[in-house]
Amino acid sequence: MSDRYEIRLQGHLGSRWAARFAPMTLTRLADGSTRLEGPVVDQAALHGLLGALRDLGLPLISVHRSQQ
Amino acid sequence: MAGSLVETKFYLPRVRRGLIARERLAERLDRGAESPLTLVSAPAGFGKTTMLAGWLAPADKRVAWVSLEETERQPASFWTYLISALQRVVPGVGAGALPLLQAARPPIEALLTTVINELGAGPDDVHLVLDDYHLADGPDIEAGMAFLLAHLPPQVHLVISTRADPALPLARLRARGELVEIRAADLRFTRGEVTAYLQGLDLAVSDIAVLESRTEGWIAALQLVALSMRGREDVAGFIAGFAGDDRYIVDYLVGEVLDRQPADVREFLIATCVLDRLTGPLCDEVTGRPEGKAMLEVLDRGNLFVVSLDGNRRWYRYHHLFADVLLTRLADEQPEEIPELHRRAAGWYERNGEPAPAIRHALAAGDVERAAGLVELAIPALRQDRQEATIRGWLDAIPDEVVRVRPVLAIGFIGALMAGNEFADVERRLGEVSRVLAGDRASMVVVDENELARLPAAIEMYYAAFALMRGDAAAVAGHARQAIDRAAPGDHVIRAAASALLGLSLWGGGDLEAAHRAYSASVDGLRRAGHLSDVLGCSITLADIRITQGRLDEALRTYEQALLLGPELRGNADMHVGISGIAVERNDLTAAAEHLRRAEELGEHTWLPQNPYRWRVASAALRQAHGDLDGARELLHEAQRVYVGDFSPNVRPVPAMIARVLAAQGRVGEALAWAREQGLTAGDELSYRREFEHITLAKVLLASSASPDADRLLARLLAAAVAGGRTGSVIEILVLQAGRRGDLVALERALTLAEPQGYVRAFAGVEPALLRRLARQQPTWGYVRRLLDGSGSGAVKLVDPLSERELDVLRLLRSDLDGPAIARELTVSLNTLRTHTKNIYAKLGVNSRRGAVRRAAELALFH
Repeated sequence: MSDRYEIRLQGHLGSRWAARFAPMTLTRLADGSTRLEGPVVDQAALHGLLGALRDLGLPLISVHRSQQ
Repeated sequence: MAGSLVETKFYLPRVRRGLIARERLAERLDRGAESPLTLVSAPAGFGKTTMLAGWLAPADKRVAWVSLEETERQPASFWTYLISALQRVVPGVGAGALPLLQAARPPIEALLTTVINELGAGPDDVHLVLDDYHLADGPDIEAGMAFLLAHLPPQVHLVISTRADPALPLARLRARGELVEIRAADLRFTRGEVTAYLQGLDLAVSDIAVLESRTEGWIAALQLVALSMRGREDVAGFIAGFAGDDRYIVDYLVGEVLDRQPADVREFLIATCVLDRLTGPLCDEVTGRPEGKAMLEVLDRGNLFVVSLDGNRRWYRYHHLFADVLLTRLADEQPEEIPELHRRAAGWYERNGEPAPAIRHALAAGDVERAAGLVELAIPALRQDRQEATIRGWLDAIPDEVVRVRPVLAIGFIGALMAGNEFADVERRLGEVSRVLAGDRASMVVVDENELARLPAAIEMYYAAFALMRGDAAAVAGHARQAIDRAAPGDHVIRAAASALLGLSLWGGGDLEAAHRAYSASVDGLRRAGHLSDVLGCSITLADIRITQGRLDEALRTYEQALLLGPELRGNADMHVGISGIAVERNDLTAAAEHLRRAEELGEHTWLPQNPYRWRVASAALRQAHGDLDGARELLHEAQRVYVGDFSPNVRPVPAMIARVLAAQGRVGEALAWAREQGLTAGDELSYRREFEHITLAKVLLASSASPDADRLLARLLAAAVAGGRTGSVIEILVLQAGRRGDLVALERALTLAEPQGYVRAFAGVEPALLRRLARQQPTWGYVRRLLDGSGSGAVKLVDPLSERELDVLRLLRSDLDGPAIARELTVSLNTLRTHTKNIYAKLGVNSRRGAVRRAAELALFH
């Protein structure tokens, strides 16, 4: 069973990035940050996702495992 | 591996004109010259590579540069690139280490030790730069890197550039002041640097402040800012819009830059961003327009996203950051185009004979059927180059149901799994292929028709290999025989492989004659298939068997015939090492030394992975024959460090050889400790596999005066060796028995077996007195006389033999006793002792006590 994660990034990611990070949903927040939220299969997938964000040079604000 | 290095990975990127000189960073880097490690750790687009390239560009610096990629997560690939890069600036370094990397389990620390020692001997400073280290970093290379770092000689500076801190003991290095770090905060452009960078744009101080604050000195963004302002009328409007926008900065700026490009440039960028590497013809294929080369040069001149990979304007890549953004735009704007672009790239690579990128693009196009076909066609060549790990990597990308109907592909994957020691799924997969093969031909998909005919035999061969892994010798033999029977006419490779498996199981079981027959069949098949290096590898096994059987002439012939296969073959050096061993046994020490030298001179490309260890074992035997037992032991310890196994059973383990030397030196305690460690006892059940160790144990027990145990063990060993036809072992055992009991019958039996094959060293341990008794009994036996003279094949000879009394004196000269003490020991006057020593020196042709001891050892007079 996969966990859900919420990842906050500095800066607004345009909607064209939604497909890239599917099945995470992408929300732009008023404080200028972006929230990625959704299921992550396992720890390896999570680290792969964080690596992809790193490679875009997107500053990471927080990572939370969401409460269900 | 060595044949397939990607040249562009060694390319130190050239520095663009107009680069901002960053003195503050250069000074920090220069300080790194005193630290073993310089770490440049920052996210993408911070100018790490550019900074390092600028700093290292001056011609007087010796730079070994590697641009790592994900393929270097495999240790063999990582270390091969690292050592090859070093070789470009320090010729010859790591020559002995590279062949070891071909082994299934390379001894990383041992091979790094030799590289480190070789680097330490060099006079000049070397900068070893590992760029994009995050792509390779992982548990598989971590330990080796920590070892390298801990033992780095002072003239070597390691520079790591990475997006994530490496798994190295950074805190410890920091605490010791052994780490120079340059991080994102240092790389950010300062106000002054931003001003210098944007100089030509005629901006107000306040504009520069806004841009610095919005980009936070991130050069990737500043570069895009400069590009998007080029020729713009409303600079103030652009800056205001940029500063007031929260969008992901690269996305925003790439949009700005793209909007300002001519349509053809824009379309080119969007279409080719699916490519990992760019070159004119490939771009033409993907875009469908014949202007790729010119377009790449436009991008290069305009500093638009591309990085040159080779300095001669042939290969480029996009900066990863921009490629990501471009790709996302492509996915958003024309998602339906993406598979087609990948399909075209796959086609280009396929036509240009580069299966790996062709397969990657076919998979990215979602065309698994095509990818499967390409993998199927690529397997034979990769298998021959022992790149099974590459094949294995594609297994997860191709769905099971696609593999299932493709028996040729399925067998290829099975081979790759087994080569990587992944056995869990092998039996199920073999069963599946057998079932598909038994079914209707129409239900199968086969691209490589030639391979299909090989499958019935190949399946049996893999079953045999699987049984070998499980240790089921009977099943190995059964399946191997089936494979040989079913091999298609002309399929020499399968017949050779199955014969070798059969030989292996027979050898391990001690049936040497049958094993030799099977290996000979294997060699025959390999020769017909043109796999000459494998012929040489098998020749070692054939010769080993003959040596164990006491047939030195045939062993020698095996090596010599193998050498006739051609010059410059991998394995030629190993043949010379083998010949040296036989020469030592025949006491032709000059020839032995000559063959070892030859093996070394031939160079690493003629070495099998086992050569570094075999060469040291043979050198140790030569040293021992010269009486230098400490030197021999030292070489054997080195041999153990660089030991790599192959498929053959390790019937002469190096630790046992070390124990033999220890026993000969009277260091019985250490030799007994070896026996305990190996769990060897005199009462063990005997097998051919452990015969060498058990004979060693007998020697050790004899040296430790545990003689009754040794006697019983020797008697049992003799019976087993006789029954197994292992005459070489029989001779060795008889010699030990003769020495133990003063048994002339045993000695005579050994000599009778040994004489036709010219053995000499086998009798080095026999007391001369015993040989002399035999010589008196049989005065016409020339062989015994020759052994007594120590003349062997004429290598060393004493014209005027020493008397018994002189031999007594000689033995005491070897001790720590001084002259008066020796005289007391022998109950003679000091003058008489002096006369004896003078005579000894004259007969040995030396003029010192040390010289006499050394010469006597060479002549084996102490035995």
